[in-house]
Amino acid sequence: MNVVLTPVMIGQVIISGILAGALYAMVALGLALIFGVMRVINIAHGPLLMLGAYGTYFLWQATGVNPYLTLPVTMAALFVLGVLLQRALVFRVVDAPELSSLLLTFGVSIALVNLAQLAFTSDLRAVEFLTASFRLGPFAFSKSRLVAFAVAAAITAGAFVFLQSTRLGKAIRATSQSREVAMVCGIDVQRIHLLTFGLASALAAAGGTLIAVIVAIQPEMGQIWTFKSFLVIVLGGAGNYPGALVGGLLLGLVEQLASLFLTTQLSEAVAYVLLVVVLLIRPSGLLGGRQT
Amino acid sequence: MSARRPMVLVLIAVGLAALAAYPTVGTGYGVRAMLQLFMWIALAGSWNLVSGLTGYVSFGHVAFFGIGSYATAILITRAAWPWLPASLAGGVAAAVLALVIGYPCLRLKGPYFAIAMLGLNEVLRVLVSYFEGLTGGGLGLSLPTLQATLPIYYVMGATAAAVTLLTYLILTSRFGLRLMTIREDEIAAEALGIDTFRHKLSALLLSAVGPGIVGGLAARDQGYIEPISVFPLATTITMIVMVLFGGKGTVWGPVLGAAVLFVFQEAVWARFIYLHQLLFGAIIIAVVLLMPRGVLGLLQLKYRLPRTI
Repeated sequence: MNVVLTPVMIGQVIISGILAGALYAMVALGLALIFGVMRVINIAHGPLLMLGAYGTYFLWQATGVNPYLTLPVTMAALFVLGVLLQRALVFRVVDAPELSSLLLTFGVSIALVNLAQLAFTSDLRAVEFLTASFRLGPFAFSKSRLVAFAVAAAITAGAFVFLQSTRLGKAIRATSQSREVAMVCGIDVQRIHLLTFGLASALAAAGGTLIAVIVAIQPEMGQIWTFKSFLVIVLGGAGNYPGALVGGLLLGLVEQLASLFLTTQLSEAVAYVLLVVVLLIRPSGLLGGRQT
Repeated sequence: MSARRPMVLVLIAVGLAALAAYPTVGTGYGVRAMLQLFMWIALAGSWNLVSGLTGYVSFGHVAFFGIGSYATAILITRAAWPWLPASLAGGVAAAVLALVIGYPCLRLKGPYFAIAMLGLNEVLRVLVSYFEGLTGGGLGLSLPTLQATLPIYYVMGATAAAVTLLTYLILTSRFGLRLMTIREDEIAAEALGIDTFRHKLSALLLSAVGPGIVGGLAARDQGYIEPISVFPLATTITMIVMVLFGGKGTVWGPVLGAAVLFVFQEAVWARFIYLHQLLFGAIIIAVVLLMPRGVLGLLQLKYRLPRTI
């Protein structure tokens, strides 16, 4: 517990925190979109990420292609799966009390994990690519994390531009502000819901692809991402999409800082403690409420 | 209702007598299965008390079961308490936990409350693993061997009956009506002069005691506990699905749901080890989509059944 903080350590924590934070922000933006538009917390968000990771692993395994090039494929595949999930199941509970949507997406979540166990076994798998790191001055950079940061930042930026300036993006934001008014304006709300779930799943898939190169892949890797993503949107303020960015960076920094002081076992709980504390102190998020 | 009341009471008395006499004729497996069923009735009924009546979804209810298990196991192994007072102390521990986390968390609404409860359960699991000196950490706690299935059968059965009776008493009381007012419209309830926070806290407290005791009994019965075996999210979900299947906010819904799903689990599910989770997921989805009101809820809609069924 007696950790002496040197400037270099603090610098390293900030670097690692920001690198992880961009990834958190991207994955959480998916969850935030669904929550914002449909008021549904998609417990299956993490398992969808897991599927993205497996997609990358198998494409890399089969073709030997650069794993980052599988990104469009996993995103497209998960987009379709997301649309199907929404079309088949989730649309039925959009207006139901939260218990229904929580349970339904939990059911989907454990079914997906079980299917992954059956199809891929529970063996740990790793995409061995870009495993090296390099030093810049006193700081160490893992190459795969750096690439993950850059790609996640680009995709998140792209998603914001899409939400901010395209007609469809505006329709999504309008629907999340008020479904009735959006409907009156001639927006096909059902279609927006399909699109939102597809996009959110694609963002999860992108996270899966990037994480596949960093850590080992196994069917149960996803669940923790659902909760971390939820934490990120709570930190940023639910319904406040740019808030996901701030929340993601904050979570990354806090986790890195915690890993300095706590055992691995305890730092596992940091995300949960943070979630509970923030909910209790500022239920509307650190950046305030809904302002899309 | 009043005309049929004696008949209902007789039926209940006969049922309880049959269950009490069961161990004299049942096989060892049968008695253990009934014991498990009692446990699920008590758990589902307890979840129903807070979430079925107030509408606040406790997504971390297994925390009370887990804390009860650990309190009991620690009292038995470290302080050499007999198992009965130790499991009652498990109930007390769960009530204290409910008070401590209910105070802040019940101010949250909707999905935020659900997720906060879930997060607290995970925090508790990690904390229990961390304090190795007291809890044995990830290795868990082994209780001294003791052959007490029969007395545990009766205490577990009594707990299940007590939870069900408590549900009936609450449902027929002004307190219960106020809880249901909160469920239907919390702002309106406040406007009517109901101290909503105190009511929610009382409901959470009452709903924690049962799982605490049951957790202690289960720990004694199994003789071994570890963090992942007493704090699993799947247990919370199972309670919820049982209540939903039977009919939430009813007296007999949790009993019916626990019985049907437990039998289904023993008869069908246990044979498909590899598909266990997949089937469970499918059942959850089916219950949510096809019968959100549950069996009793549907019957109440169709026939003129008493509200307090």
